[in-house]
Amino acid sequence: MVKRILIAGSVAALVAANAGEVAAQGFKPTRPIEFLVHTGPGGGNDLLARAISNIVEKEKLLPVRMQVTNKTGGGGITAMSYLSEKKGETHTIALFANTWVNGPLMSKEAKVTLKDLTPIVRLVTEPGVIVVKADSPYKSLKDFIDDAKKQPGQLKQSGGSIGSRDNIVRQLLMKNTGTQWAYISFPGGGERRAALLGGHVQIMVMDPQEAGEHLRNGSLRILAQIAEKRMASLPDVPTVPEAGFNIPNYLVIRGVVGPPDMPAEAVKFWEAFFAKVAKTAAWKKYLQDNLFEDGFQTTAELVKFVDVFTEQARTVLKDAGVKIYR
Amino acid sequence: MNRGEVVSGVVLAALGGYIVSEAAHWEYLGPDGPGPGFFPLWYGAAMIVLSAVLVVQNFLAKATVAGRPVNWREVGRVLIVWAGFAVSVALLKVLGFILSFGLFVLFMVAGMYRRPLRVAISVAVGCAAGFYLVFPFALDVRLPIGVLGF
Amino acid sequence: MEIFSGLLQGFAVALTPVNIMWCFIGCFLGTIVGILPGLGPPATIAMLLPLTFQMNPTSAVIMLAGIYYGAKYGGSTTSILLNVPGESASVVTCLDGYQMARNGRGGAALGIAAIASFIAGTFGVIMLMLVAPPLAKFALAFSSPEYFALMCMGLAMVVLLAGKSMVKALLAMLVGLWIAGMGTDLFTAESRFTFGQAELLDGIDFVVVAIGVFALGEVLGNMETREGVAMLPVPKGLRNLLPNVEELKACRFAFLNGSVVGFIIGILPGAGSTVASFISYGIEKAVSKHPEKFGTGVPEGVAAPEGANNAETGGAMVPMLTLGIPGSGTTAILLAAFILWGLKPGPLMIQDNPELFWGLVASMYIGNVILLILNIPLIPLFAQILKLSQYVLYPIIFGISVVGVYSVSDSLFDLSLLTFFGLLGYCMRKLDYPQAPLILGLVLGDAMERALRQSLMMSQGDLSILVSRPLSAGMLVLTALVLAVPMFRKANAWRMKAID
Repeated sequence: MVKRILIAGSVAALVAANAGEVAAQGFKPTRPIEFLVHTGPGGGNDLLARAISNIVEKEKLLPVRMQVTNKTGGGGITAMSYLSEKKGETHTIALFANTWVNGPLMSKEAKVTLKDLTPIVRLVTEPGVIVVKADSPYKSLKDFIDDAKKQPGQLKQSGGSIGSRDNIVRQLLMKNTGTQWAYISFPGGGERRAALLGGHVQIMVMDPQEAGEHLRNGSLRILAQIAEKRMASLPDVPTVPEAGFNIPNYLVIRGVVGPPDMPAEAVKFWEAFFAKVAKTAAWKKYLQDNLFEDGFQTTAELVKFVDVFTEQARTVLKDAGVKIYR
Repeated sequence: MNRGEVVSGVVLAALGGYIVSEAAHWEYLGPDGPGPGFFPLWYGAAMIVLSAVLVVQNFLAKATVAGRPVNWREVGRVLIVWAGFAVSVALLKVLGFILSFGLFVLFMVAGMYRRPLRVAISVAVGCAAGFYLVFPFALDVRLPIGVLGF
Repeated sequence: MEIFSGLLQGFAVALTPVNIMWCFIGCFLGTIVGILPGLGPPATIAMLLPLTFQMNPTSAVIMLAGIYYGAKYGGSTTSILLNVPGESASVVTCLDGYQMARNGRGGAALGIAAIASFIAGTFGVIMLMLVAPPLAKFALAFSSPEYFALMCMGLAMVVLLAGKSMVKALLAMLVGLWIAGMGTDLFTAESRFTFGQAELLDGIDFVVVAIGVFALGEVLGNMETREGVAMLPVPKGLRNLLPNVEELKACRFAFLNGSVVGFIIGILPGAGSTVASFISYGIEKAVSKHPEKFGTGVPEGVAAPEGANNAETGGAMVPMLTLGIPGSGTTAILLAAFILWGLKPGPLMIQDNPELFWGLVASMYIGNVILLILNIPLIPLFAQILKLSQYVLYPIIFGISVVGVYSVSDSLFDLSLLTFFGLLGYCMRKLDYPQAPLILGLVLGDAMERALRQSLMMSQGDLSILVSRPLSAGMLVLTALVLAVPMFRKANAWRMKAID
């Protein structure tokens, strides 16, 4: 009798153990993975996607290939609507960025938001730096703000589109300090930087990576960094709140999202998969080379984060007088 | 008077009117400088003025400068070709490039150029196969894929 | 002297068998990519990037740069033979190149394109080598008001591209401006003329309009009768495949003009090779003794724009290498590649990696020679396509147009737009509206509006910013001169008559 119970018990345990494994292995990719990005070749997300698929290939993390597909247009809106048509699909995933959150807010043509899709993980957060030319009279962010107070609307900042971090940080700063300065949009990063280096604008928000070399050359000066805490590479530069301006830290984020109604086991699989990617040495080196921060968040954390993040962007853009559609 | 010029002038004037009416909804001058309505308003207005000039020129001109008469048979032929092309583009989603392009070639050679069916079929198959070999096969260029999987 | 020793060092790097091989592979791939309409260097370089991680960065940049300038050589092929612009920059080559092919001088046109590319490409490298650092400062002096003036100068070319009726040319240009304005406004995120279509939020791709209006419009026009106007095939014999002495002589100034204009405009991060080729074509026509023949197949009309878009490559490398500032999609992805290889693009890159800079410069000399040698023998091969019967050739042009557009965007929506623009191109031909001004408006419209609005934001709405800066004022004066050319010509013709 005792024997029987033991056997039954061990069988039950085995079954239970197996069941656990089955749940974890409930999904396994069998076809090449379509890895969707919203920028053309050379854009931020495109490069990140190619770097990831490279790491995956080198470390043999997937039994199938990861094929990067570019669906450009509408600052992510085309890629989002393409993804939303793939309801329940498990072999198509995409990289999202801030514009997947801000774009739909500002566009009446957009039919999909990040919430309608299936957020999987957040991978990266990118700090930024506020820079001026090295021969500029501003030695600190406070100098710039003080001067902007003296001549409202006269100073200029170069940046990207109106929904980009450049403008959101400006709006937050202007609201916090009651100042005004102009914002001039340039479509390409090159033109933006050329406008600053040529002295046509006074200030700009840059990626630390692109600022780094100009810093070394002595052609630019960093006033403050936009980051939760000081970056390891810039130990002496204050963050914006440390510089005396208590504004919320607005992040540039990148992460992975799936189509609507993606089966739960597939979401689990991808979550675990990207957690594995984020632990590789190659990934850590990639982050370091580009001066990105590890911004890993699990699915549950990301879902909550998206709500908060969307609300933040909505408030700032509304304050800035941008038409908000949803 | 050249009828083509008058008609196209009227169409362009209408387009200019549409541009101006749309541009009127957008900010012309904002606090930061010219708004999204600034530029369209100007070129829309220029379009109306220039197309008016074109039409008026035609009414003032002596009858001697009449345009070439339109040969509607020729235009009809072009429209058939164009419609064939439009249909083949519409079919891309269902048939994929290789099939739909093959059918278009068949339509062109047999229908528009009146070659024997034998010639038409071989040209169509040859073109479709050639495109397949050059683009997706040799150069890895993606082509529209239909429901049949190619 | 520094340059001399640098160059020696560069050739020592570039002339190793391995690097010659990579240079050749890059040039070869570039030529193919250039010939295929639609598929461009940025996409190709992105696809090849993973393969370059194992390579030495110098070899990798030699190969990828080869793709970049090699594509400019190949771009003219389909423009000349089929009136299908292979790259956006070779749309101007269609104007006279295709007409030369129709006259049975297709081989000569291809030859002139190759020679112009070689001369201008080499000129671009020489200038890159000699004057890169000081010129980078010039690029920085250029800002929105100057860009606005440059775009005005470009738009003024419309008076030179007009056919019989100036009014019609201007109207075509305005339609181009309108198409350029479609999509999301950069400054306010307002969507304009999108008809509620999310596909139009980014506007309409230039390639769709150019291929539709030029290639499909042309083919449809030729379909009016069953055996329409045939293209003259290139007559037999090597002499007919290559440009003859008179044709080369006619191009003397065009080679120079294309080289200089292309290089200068290339340096500016916000302009681009299409603008360069339009402006050099315009200049060529403005100074020509027989401007009325432009558009009917004159060799200068091929040499100037082809030269310009090749010299542009050397120019575009100036801000990229000296400042880390990308001026185009291709240079942006090259810069990204530098980071992936562990280099640091920026003002110190040349100083830190002299062997890479000089190796690249030396490889570009070699690459241009390779491309010339590679392209000349291809001419007879490609000229064969003109021997195809119409009923085979025309469907092929339709097919290539579809593949070209689809390879840019993967979008069926763009293909329906292509269908529409094909019909528009036919209507324009039928009603005698010139097509080039439409393309000109389309290329410049967006950049011009942007530059104007940026300028006025800089000056708080004060228009005088456009004329108070010497560079922009100078260019606006030049614009006025261009606008005066036709009037000057008329006056001259009238005076000549009076003398008779």
